Amino acid sequence: MIDIEPLRYAWTSAGEDTLALGALQVSAGQTVFLHGPSGCGKSTLLGLLAGVILPQSGRVSLLGQDWAALRPGQRDAFRADHVGVVFQQFNLLPYLSVLDNVVLPCRFSALRRERCQAEGGPQVAAQNWLQRMAMPAELWTRRADALSVGQQQRVAAARALMGQPELILADEPTSALDAALRQDFMNLLLQATRDAGSTLVCVSHDAAQATRFDVQWALPDLQQMEAHT
Amino acid sequence: MSSLAGIARLSAWNRRSTLVWVVISLALATALLWTLERLRHDVRVSFAQSVSGVDLIVGARSSPVQLMLFSVFHIGSAPQVLSMDSVRAVAQHRSVSWVVPLSLGDSHRGYPVLGTTPAYFQHFAYGDKQPLVVQSGAVFSGTLDGLYEAVIGAEVAHQLGYGLGQQITLGHGLHEHDHDHEDHADKPFQVVGILAPTGTPVDRTVHVSLQALEALHLDWAGGAPMPGGHIPADQARKFDLEPVEVTAALVGLKTRAAVFNVQRFVNQYEDEALMGVMPGVALGELWGVLGLGENALLAVSALVALVSLFSLMAVVLAGLNERRRELAVLRAVGAGPRHVLGLLALEGTWVICTGVLLGVLLAQVGMALGAPWLQNSLGIRLQIAAPLPTQWALAVTIVLAGMLASLGPAWRAYRMSLADGLSPRA
Repeated sequence: MIDIEPLRYAWTSAGEDTLALGALQVSAGQTVFLHGPSGCGKSTLLGLLAGVILPQSGRVSLLGQDWAALRPGQRDAFRADHVGVVFQQFNLLPYLSVLDNVVLPCRFSALRRERCQAEGGPQVAAQNWLQRMAMPAELWTRRADALSVGQQQRVAAARALMGQPELILADEPTSALDAALRQDFMNLLLQATRDAGSTLVCVSHDAAQATRFDVQWALPDLQQMEAHT
Repeated sequence: MSSLAGIARLSAWNRRSTLVWVVISLALATALLWTLERLRHDVRVSFAQSVSGVDLIVGARSSPVQLMLFSVFHIGSAPQVLSMDSVRAVAQHRSVSWVVPLSLGDSHRGYPVLGTTPAYFQHFAYGDKQPLVVQSGAVFSGTLDGLYEAVIGAEVAHQLGYGLGQQITLGHGLHEHDHDHEDHADKPFQVVGILAPTGTPVDRTVHVSLQALEALHLDWAGGAPMPGGHIPADQARKFDLEPVEVTAALVGLKTRAAVFNVQRFVNQYEDEALMGVMPGVALGELWGVLGLGENALLAVSALVALVSLFSLMAVVLAGLNERRRELAVLRAVGAGPRHVLGLLALEGTWVICTGVLLGVLLAQVGMALGAPWLQNSLGIRLQIAAPLPTQWALAVTIVLAGMLASLGPAWRAYRMSLADGLSPRA
């Protein structure tokens, strides 16, 4: 599913803030818990996985496809087809309804639109995923900015799962939530990801959640691995 | 499912409190340009149509433009006079059909007084050879009995509320007078005719006979009343009132082909330094002078439009940072940079089209409401008619320029979303 060959990535040309990783693999359907102190490069790793940035050396492949082998436009299209993203917060377009926000990925990906046909079309699929994320139906037609932060995160998760992309990337999806809500959200996200058959890579500070994932990556340890090779 | 256009529309609507000011500024700039273009056109047309059917204007040798200004527009100071002998000599030229002498120099409450003959109303035409029409009453008789008769233009009648039979007195010179102390108050005139509106300087003119002007000035010398030499109105009829000098003469020819012949005859007339001016040519020259001001006006409004386009660009650019989140979200759900580019360009186009459309509407309504005021206070007649091709061209130019201007922010957003990747570092 995800195949990382030893890579180096530096934000600046001077070579500071370097991320250096050894070989890593994630198989389809696995859930990965990615943790580490602030500024250690977790978001950078997500960017590499999503093909938004490319490593200076080494290789990141998704579904056997090397990101670097694609032209920028192709990367955008490939990402739209196969990757769903959940940010820390501000995931939604405030001026669209909840339902319209969830349907958005189908606007940009024919593949995901197609997959929704099996469920009866994007609208029905969106309703299904909102239900799986425990969003009450009376909220679906509300403007997105009328929801609480916790509700917005669940809508974002539903949207990421639309059309069952192979990879879900979640960048600290619970850090804006109260402790009481984190557990609920993680439960829903993990269950929904399994339902979709997608792979999940979730960045989080919340160590309490770690054991519920198939794989735990501590980024500083991954960096060390590179140092040994 | 929301299309890109739908997202752009909702996004713009979401920021309407900012965008509305851009739309307003665009609308005002458009309205300004739109109105100015109409005004320019109408002024030019009414200007070009202020005299027609006159082949030559004859006056003492001076500047053609000055003669034109004076004899047709009744503006400016009196050029030198020419003798009636010369006028009669011109009238006797075999190609000349008619001659109408004109005498100017007095006024009534700011409106110029034109001394002429009854033939003036027969021969003078405006627009496309439209003759003057007497709306009520008749033209002055030109006889001694009707010596103190006046025919007034439509605007004079309307502005001053004059009807037939109204008594008026004239003032010396072309300046606005203290109405209670008209210089020629001793010889009042009676309004016997009111002309139909023409949209030309005729509307603003009081017409009297040449003999009446002579009568007014019998007891004047050197531009002031002769002390102790007052001649009452009735007494004046006993004097010889045939004018010796006039300020200009309108000439009509039997065939237009003879115009250069007659002009040469006039210009080479030996007894007096004369000048024959073709109205069309002089109008062209005059317009060339006025055109400078016209072009300056146009340049200023073009600048206004440019400034409002820049303000559009500035507002959109300033808003981009706030929209970084929004663009990142769009990128996260699969929108490529080209979608971002399209979104911004679409929004810019809408804002511009709305602004321009609103501006056109504003201008049309404004002109419809303001036309009577403009006619009354400035004497500019606005046509309430279908927009001119040049007006449409202006509107389209603004739209195109605006679309071009909106590409700037769109390009920046495109670069920004490329650099930001999935998570905006803002």
